[in-house]
Amino acid sequence: MSTTTTTGPLYPTTGEPVAVNARRNRLGVWLCIVSDLTGSIALLIAYSYLWSLNVNNAWAPPKDAWASDVPFFLIVLGTVLATISMWWGYKGLVKGHKDRMIVGATLATLLILVTFIGQIVQMSTFPFDIQDGAYASSVFWLCMGSAIHLSLVLFFTMATVFRTKADRITPQNPYHARLVSMWMTYVCVVIAIGALFTLVMKESPNTNAPTFGTFTTAK
Amino acid sequence: MTAVVFEQPAVLQPKQHGKPGGFLRHTSIFTGLAGGIVLATITYMIGSKLVPWGTQNADFSQVGLNALIAATMFAWVIGFMAGIGAFAGPIRWALGHDLTHDDAEYMAGKDQGKFRYWKYTTDHKVVGTQYFVMVLVLLGLGGFLAMLIRTELGWTWSELFDPNFYNSIIGTHGIVMVVAMIIVVTGPLGNFIMPLMVGARDMAFPRLNALSFWLLFAAVPPLVATLFMGGIRDGWSVYQPLATQAGMGMVGYQVLIIVFAFSTGVASVNLITTAVTMRARGMNWSRVPIFVIGIIASSVMGLVWFPMYQWSQILAMSDLVVNSSFFNPVAGGSVWLYENLFWLLAHPEVYVIVVPATAGILELMTVFLRKPLFSYKLAIAGFAGVVGISAIVWVHHMYMTGFAPQVGYPFMLSTELISIPFGFLVLVALGTMWRGKVWTRLPMMCVYAVIWNKVIGGITGVYLSDVPVDQYMHGSMFVVAHFHFMLMGAGLFGAMAAISYWFPKMCGRMLNERIGSIGFWTAFAGFQITFFSMFVAGLQGQPRRVLQFDNMFNVSNWISTIGAYIIGIGMLIFLYAIITSWRGKTYAPANPWGAKTLEWQTETPVPLENFPVLPVVTSDPYGYGVPDPYDAIEKELARDDNAAKVPQ
Repeated sequence: MSTTTTTGPLYPTTGEPVAVNARRNRLGVWLCIVSDLTGSIALLIAYSYLWSLNVNNAWAPPKDAWASDVPFFLIVLGTVLATISMWWGYKGLVKGHKDRMIVGATLATLLILVTFIGQIVQMSTFPFDIQDGAYASSVFWLCMGSAIHLSLVLFFTMATVFRTKADRITPQNPYHARLVSMWMTYVCVVIAIGALFTLVMKESPNTNAPTFGTFTTAK
Repeated sequence: MTAVVFEQPAVLQPKQHGKPGGFLRHTSIFTGLAGGIVLATITYMIGSKLVPWGTQNADFSQVGLNALIAATMFAWVIGFMAGIGAFAGPIRWALGHDLTHDDAEYMAGKDQGKFRYWKYTTDHKVVGTQYFVMVLVLLGLGGFLAMLIRTELGWTWSELFDPNFYNSIIGTHGIVMVVAMIIVVTGPLGNFIMPLMVGARDMAFPRLNALSFWLLFAAVPPLVATLFMGGIRDGWSVYQPLATQAGMGMVGYQVLIIVFAFSTGVASVNLITTAVTMRARGMNWSRVPIFVIGIIASSVMGLVWFPMYQWSQILAMSDLVVNSSFFNPVAGGSVWLYENLFWLLAHPEVYVIVVPATAGILELMTVFLRKPLFSYKLAIAGFAGVVGISAIVWVHHMYMTGFAPQVGYPFMLSTELISIPFGFLVLVALGTMWRGKVWTRLPMMCVYAVIWNKVIGGITGVYLSDVPVDQYMHGSMFVVAHFHFMLMGAGLFGAMAAISYWFPKMCGRMLNERIGSIGFWTAFAGFQITFFSMFVAGLQGQPRRVLQFDNMFNVSNWISTIGAYIIGIGMLIFLYAIITSWRGKTYAPANPWGAKTLEWQTETPVPLENFPVLPVVTSDPYGYGVPDPYDAIEKELARDDNAAKVPQ
């Protein structure tokens, strides 16, 4: 019998190897992704359900002023570039280049910040208001969901920069950076699906919608 | 053969910033309350200047006022969480100021005495105890409201309450009880007992553990406030478009659900990760106690389906406060969308409640029968089947809504199918009891009650899942009796079994079984009187959620009200047994039941890190009567030793 000795960094609060702790964290992040995905699916169900029913012929926004497609895909592009940057930094880190992690995470932070601002600008410049029918409401909340995801990502990428600088993320203990990259990959997917919905589901297929009449707002 | 050996050098600690605990040394529930009240007040004052109160939507509800109340309630939650120190951890983490071992011990409540129960303490035993007290408070509130409902319905010759107030009592009772029942087992026992049962030192994510409890704590005041703001008048399901047309009380309901869903999600992640990754050495999946499997199953359902409910309330709140159009048909919304999103969680929620209670009774049956579980694998299959099929049954709540009548029959089939895995669980319970010599103690008495109630609730559920029967029964008192048999009869009585079984480990005292049994049997008798009579009223055609009814239902309602008071008396006696035992001097030994699972192998009260040395599992948790293989080895060694001593 031969014996090899492995001395890895240990997690300070429990004294376990950080790899053990990382496996636990990874499962936790996967479960968070599952839960978040279900919530995102709820939003997509709301969008597609109302699109398919076109209740009271009120799906479309006033004067058919649909949201422009380009901003949706710019936001997806910004998120994807930030995620690539994060993974690039992480790959460098595991090869021993700590500086590459700092550069990658900083770049990702800046990209996400710009994308987040872009998301807010997009929401404030829609040619309709959230009250203008089911399409308007659904698009607003898809964008709101995207903004919430981006703000979380912004927090995590900034934290990655700080933690790498403080030597909490190191080539021997790169796990938090990997988890952030995993989360960002998921956010890319979910934002892209939302954008795809807004692109392919505009005019409702239901042209014979049931009508329920109108109300006037009390003055 | 190669062995990998981890050397155990001194664990390098990050720099200690100040005293252990840092900012959390200065926070407690009192700073939380102060933070919540201050932020809510500021938000209300600024908001009332900015928001035009008189703004109305197409349904004439007060959009501006609703927005202001929603902002104030969320400000309360954020302020409370900030005040109690919930944000200190993420900020420290982001800045790279990781916790030291001393920090972690301080946060776990080391050397803080009883004050640790009033702080953002991370120790799973503290969180479990906090949940236990919270459950008792919520059940007390929900039970009190139930008494008001039954008083009104039993007082058939006059009205005690204003109809609107009566409706808000119904809605508040419903949601308070649903929340209480969701956490009644997984909160106290999932947090306190489950980590001990798998042989872990704590939960996987201790700070998230504290977060889950305090989020729940912060979510309760908005709910209670609804009683003073018009209440929840639309039942606990708050169907659309009634919810959008409702007053400010609805905002409190929505804030509760949105925040509680975060709490549940965080707790589910924690429970599953702990059970999967922190099991003791030797505890392979065939040696995992069935209670742990039940907790995993319940957490999976909560994790996957709760976001649907959460988003149904986020979108409903959006309709209520910014006049969006998700559920308002006039502006392109659909009430069916709400009902689908709602029931996608709200039906699996029944199993979120019943599954851990069922797992609890299966666990304790093995102890009081001194027998292995009858077909462990069948029990696993039962839980897996319930989790899987629970995802495809929700439409049976919508047969009468006009939603897609053609899908009624497939959902009728799927609903009837779920009785098969549930039948597995009943069979496992009966099989375990078969020819067993029962050690009749209070937990075991509760098991009989649960099996009886579950069979009644299950059989009446099969009727209701049938489309033709449901057309007659829907919206009647029969439905009310059915779901009380499942949620209260199986869920709450199952929780009473589990709590009385694990009470000695949690509270360090023996539960006074004499008084507890009197309370339990009184409540059980009252339960049967109340809800069997309600079945009769339902079959006669009495609709639910109505204040006034025909004289032909008087007798049934009088009987139900008498039964409800008997339940109330029984529950108060049981509560008295809990409180006096907890405060009493009858200290519990480490393993009063002689059980084999790990939580009983450590001392009572449980030390901070649970086990002096992490346990190694060498045998089946239910192998009563089966000698431990290590005992055999020791005997063998002793025999060899003796043989060696015999002169040749």
